[in-house]
Order: sequence, then structure tokens, then C-alpha cells
Amino acid sequence: MEITRREWMLAAACWAEVLRAQDQQFAWFDRTSAAEVNAIAGRIIPDDETPGADRAGVIWFIDRALAGYDEDKRELYRRGLSQMQSKRVEIFPHSSSFAGLSKDQQIQLLHAVEHTEFFQLVRYHTILGFFGHPMYGGNRDQVGWKLLGVEYSMHYEPPFGYYDAAAAEAGSK
Amino acid sequence: MSATFRPSDAVDFVVVGAGAAGGVMAKELSSAGFQVVVLEQGPWRREKDFAHDEIGVSLRGALINDPKKQPNTFRKTPGEKAKLQPAVGYCRTVGGGSVHFTANYWRFHPEDFHERSLWGSVPGADLRDWPITYDDLEPYYTKAEWDLGISGLGGSNPFDGPRSKPYPLPPMPVKSSGVLFERAAKKLGWHPFPAPMAVLSQPYRGRAACIHCGFCEAFGCEVGAKSSSLAALIPVAVKTGRCEIRPDSYVRKIETGKDGRVSGVIYFDAGKREIFQRAKAVVVCANGAETPRLLLMSKSNAFPHGLANSHGNVGKYLMFDNGGYATGVFDHPLNEYKSIVVTRVLHDFYRADPKRGFYGGGGMDARYDYLPAAFALNGLPTDIPQWGSEWKRTVGQYYTHMMGTLAHTSCLAVEQNSISLDDTVKDAWGMPAMRVTFKNHPDDIKTMHFIAERQKEILSAAGARKIWFAPESLEEVTYSVHLMGSCRMGDDPATSVVNRWNRAHDVPNLFLVDGSSLVTAGRQQPTATIQALAYRAAYHIQQSARRGEI
Repeated sequence: MEITRREWMLAAACWAEVLRAQDQQFAWFDRTSAAEVNAIAGRIIPDDETPGADRAGVIWFIDRALAGYDEDKRELYRRGLSQMQSKRVEIFPHSSSFAGLSKDQQIQLLHAVEHTEFFQLVRYHTILGFFGHPMYGGNRDQVGWKLLGVEYSMHYEPPFGYYDAAAAEAGSK
Repeated sequence: MSATFRPSDAVDFVVVGAGAAGGVMAKELSSAGFQVVVLEQGPWRREKDFAHDEIGVSLRGALINDPKKQPNTFRKTPGEKAKLQPAVGYCRTVGGGSVHFTANYWRFHPEDFHERSLWGSVPGADLRDWPITYDDLEPYYTKAEWDLGISGLGGSNPFDGPRSKPYPLPPMPVKSSGVLFERAAKKLGWHPFPAPMAVLSQPYRGRAACIHCGFCEAFGCEVGAKSSSLAALIPVAVKTGRCEIRPDSYVRKIETGKDGRVSGVIYFDAGKREIFQRAKAVVVCANGAETPRLLLMSKSNAFPHGLANSHGNVGKYLMFDNGGYATGVFDHPLNEYKSIVVTRVLHDFYRADPKRGFYGGGGMDARYDYLPAAFALNGLPTDIPQWGSEWKRTVGQYYTHMMGTLAHTSCLAVEQNSISLDDTVKDAWGMPAMRVTFKNHPDDIKTMHFIAERQKEILSAAGARKIWFAPESLEEVTYSVHLMGSCRMGDDPATSVVNRWNRAHDVPNLFLVDGSSLVTAGRQQPTATIQALAYRAAYHIQQSARRGEI
């Protein structure tokens, strides 16, 4: 019974998140920075044959982290974004934003900064927002877990995988 | 039902730390009729307080010591300036490390207790025999297994010592990693066996069996099926009516009287108020890092260099957690994210072998313990891109198709590897931060690499189509959750801190019972041995107390 109640509570928490997302206000980002970071996250985990960072709502996860427990990372975001913009202008002098670059240009620019502390932090946050629990604002519709083939449940029964199932089958014959 | 004592009551025992060993002391001493106050620096979380939350628990360390509030400094050798860098991890909650551990629960082997005699000395290390043998400890291993509820198959590990009773519960259901590991090991002529696990395969003593939820290592069990002190021991202690658990109580000093005996402890409560709890005897179960730190902070006229430290041994010979991590990818899904972490183990390379040319050995288990975000962050081999479409596809293809093997390898006792007090850094309570000095003996590293070759062999024999190591797992260790040896046990007060019954050589009413008393590190996975030592010490303490010898 305990499990069922907990599942319900988790589901309720996730749904509350979805409702909140329909009328979204960023807690820390301004709209422009959010669009830029969202575009970076979208290159780290692209929307391609399966949903990526954008559809997972990773930007909302990052916003909430920077507004809360990771507030000491704000300065790195400010500084990192501004340094990345300088790099952008250097490589693509006529561009006006990261989000406005073509996909190939975005990838080229990110390769130029991928060893910076800023990029590594955005990668870290993007992955947490994509694969972490939806209650943190990302991983919407559990798209991260779906990508991995994880069937999310509070409990499982054996057989768990192909090899133990096959062994059990062979053993029972 | 829970007892409540006043600080001015001189209770029979104060136990510092409610972890693997502290839980045993709480239960055994209160059940024997003594009054016990257990002071735990962390909160008292119950099953309902645990959650399937990788970010909060596993990545942000909700259950463990917080380096911001409890910083430590680290250096490899005493000549270096120690810098702020987390080096020790422990679970800060009632139940301690037994709450969040992987739950591997194997016994040390008989030869672990006299390796010095078997092997001889190792240059650059201080390898010693224990003052006790496996036979001395065997009844207490059995007691621990039956009290806690351990699932396993007695006699299945041909390298194990003799046992007086089988495990109380059958092994946990084998996972795909266990099936592949067992098949490959047998092909190689090795001897895999079902992992002895501190997880209930069936209901036991009013506790529910494991539901295979997969949130095991680093997490507290939401149904109480992990056989932690929290689930199995603390409730029994509380029910005696003679044991009070005080969470959020951080001990900063053990007081010593003019007679050289300890008289109680000073601790900070949740509001950082200092409280002095009187006691007739003190049992410190604060783990292999916090126990020596507390002794070093407990200076007095009788012990100007720290309590029980008349020969300067407190904090020395610290031993860490060693062993490489190899991952393999397979053709079919294993779904290792389900159920417990480990279902098969092997000990074929456990014993040190002179033919290898260096001291050491290790156990090895089949597992995959990366949760989704941790895997995506750093679980992939470094020869593929770390972001973008190709990375994302690989992440999606690999996650359910992988297993790993983790080695658990020896760690030699080296005098300069130690816990001491930092000269300048303080914790959030204004107390001196822990300073950790640690550099692996070269034989530790050679052993890790030797076992790594065996890990590759087994994954390859299992049919892995790609195999890689977490690169940092084969380097010198700078962070450990197994904290051993820092107040070691021995017959000679000049070279050890506690005697063969875990009583401090220097102080008759002070007992140190946790990883700090281990003389050797075995092949890691020390919880069973720590708890067996605790049961043995508890028995001795009761007997001594009844005879008026404390």
C-alpha cells in the first residue's frame, strides 16, 4: 500500500510540474540568456529521432537549479556565456546569437569551447535535467529514461534481463 | 518506549555514532540491560524519508557528509601543504553507512588475520597480523548474519573459512550480470558464487523482502529490506526501553577525568548548543575517519596529544578503498538498473601470491551501478564523443546492455597515511577540520592492475563486444568510503590503539568499535567484519561490566 501511495504522490508531483510549465516564468534567467542556454543544451542532447534537451524541458531544470541550490554557479554562467559570445563573434563575425547560428555552426562553435569550465557545467546541468527525476523540472514525459530503455517503476520482478531470463528458461527445462 | 535520559544522568554507555557498529552496540548493550545513549551527528531518517532521486541522493549527496559544512583537507604525503579536497565519504544518518551501502556482505578469509606471518614484511608498509584469528571472530560473523538478515549460499565460496551456520536467507535472484559473470568465470576455471548480501530475499523477522527497485547503492531502502542498522538493529534497541537515540548530535569532545578515565562527551545539538552527557563508559563508533579525529580533538591534561594517543598511533595506518571498475557492452539487454547491485562474486585472486612479485589480492563482483545521469555524465568510454547526436545514440543503445565488474583490492597499512587535525581549516561548528594524508603503497597499484587484467578476461569471456575502464579507478586513490585502520587493534600498546577486545590500551572505560580497529583491509567490503568485531566487543563489554571490570 505504501508503494502505491508513493507512486501516486510522485505522479502528482510530476503533473503539477507540467501544469506549472504551461505558464512559465524563469526564476533566474532572462529570456535571451535562456534561449541561448537552451540552444546549447539542444546541441548537447539534440532533438533528433528521439526527443532531446529542448523537449525534455532541460532549460527549466537549469533555471531552477541556478535559482536554488546551484546559485553559486550563476557567475560562471554569466561569464561563460559572455566569453562564448566573444568566441562566436570571432568565428562568425556577422552572427547575432548562438541560437541564430545554423546547426553546423553551433556544433563548430561548441567544439571550440568544449574544454571550458562553462561548457562542462552546461553539459553537466543538461544531463541532470535530461536524466534526473522529473520533479526537478526536466526529463518531461520521462524522455530521458525512455531514451535509455528504462521502464520506470517502483518495483520489478525477475527475470530482469535477457540473460537471466534465458538461464531461467534453460534451467526449468 | 524509547528511553530518555538527562545529560546529568551518568548512563552506562554513550555510543558515538549510530552506524554499522554503533547499531550493534546499541542493540547488544541495551538488550543486556544497560542504559545506552546513542549520539548520531546525522538526522533520524525513516523509510518514508528515502527517495528514488538520483540527483538529490546520489549526485548531491543528501545522505553523506557535506564538504561545505564538514570540509577536510587532503595531501598525498606529509611534506605537502594539504588543500581543501573531499577525501572521505560517510553516511550521516541514523544507521550510518549500513543505510546506503551496496550491501556486499562477505567475511574476511582466515588468512586475512595472519598475513604478516604468511607473507613476511613488505618494505614501505607495516603489514601486521591481527591479535585475533578468524576462529575468534566466526561466531560473531554468524551472529551478525542472523541478526541482520543476510542472503547468501554458505559453502559456495571455496575460499571462505569454515562457518558454523548457513546464511539465514537464500541468495537474491540472479541478474543478467550474474549469469554472464558466472558462465565466463567457469569457462576460465574460476569459482564464482552467489553474493552474500545484506538484503532480504524473503521476509525476515517482521521486515519485508526486497522489491528489486534498483535504488540500492547510495540510497536508503524505502521498504526496509536492506539489512541496515536502521532497519534491523536500532528498532530492537529502542524497544528495550533502555536505549535513547539522539540524532543531530555532533560530538566534539570526550571528557577525561583526573583519574584518566572518560566521564562523558560534549556534543552540539541541532541548535548548536553544547551539551555534556555523562556516562560510565564511552564507545566510539564514528567511523575510521571521525573516530581518530574525535580522539585527537579530545585533548586533556592526562592526554595532551589526544585521547588514547600516548604512543602517537591515533589516526595512523589509514587504509582506503581500492579497485578498478571495468564495463562491458553486450548484445542483449541486461537491464542492470533493476534490483540489487551485485549477485555474483569471485575470490580466486583474493589471496596474495608470491609468484606475482608483489603483495596483494582482490575480490571481484558483477554489477552495474551507474544510474542514468551518472552514466551519461561519465560512464561511456572516452574514445567516443561526449555530447551530440552520436553520443546520444550510444547512450541510448548502451545503458540497458552493459554490466561492470568492480574489483575490491588490498590496501597496505602505511604509517604516514593518516587522519590528523588541520592547522587552519575549521568546520561549520568551529572545530578543526580533518586533514587526510594518503598515498597508495606501490603494491596497491600493482594489485589493482593485476586484477584489472582478470576483469578484462572475464568480461571478454562473457562475450562483451567492447570493454573499458573508468580511468580514474586505476589511479592512486584520493577519496574513500571504506575508512579503515586508523586506530588499529593489537596486543602491544606501543604499536596499536585498542586491544583485542576493542578497548583502548590507555583508557579502561573507552572502546573504539568501527573500521578504525581493522589491522588489514582484507579485500575491502569491510562491513561484515566491522559488525562481527562489534558483536564480539559488545559481548566482552557486557562480561567486563558485569564483573565490575570497566
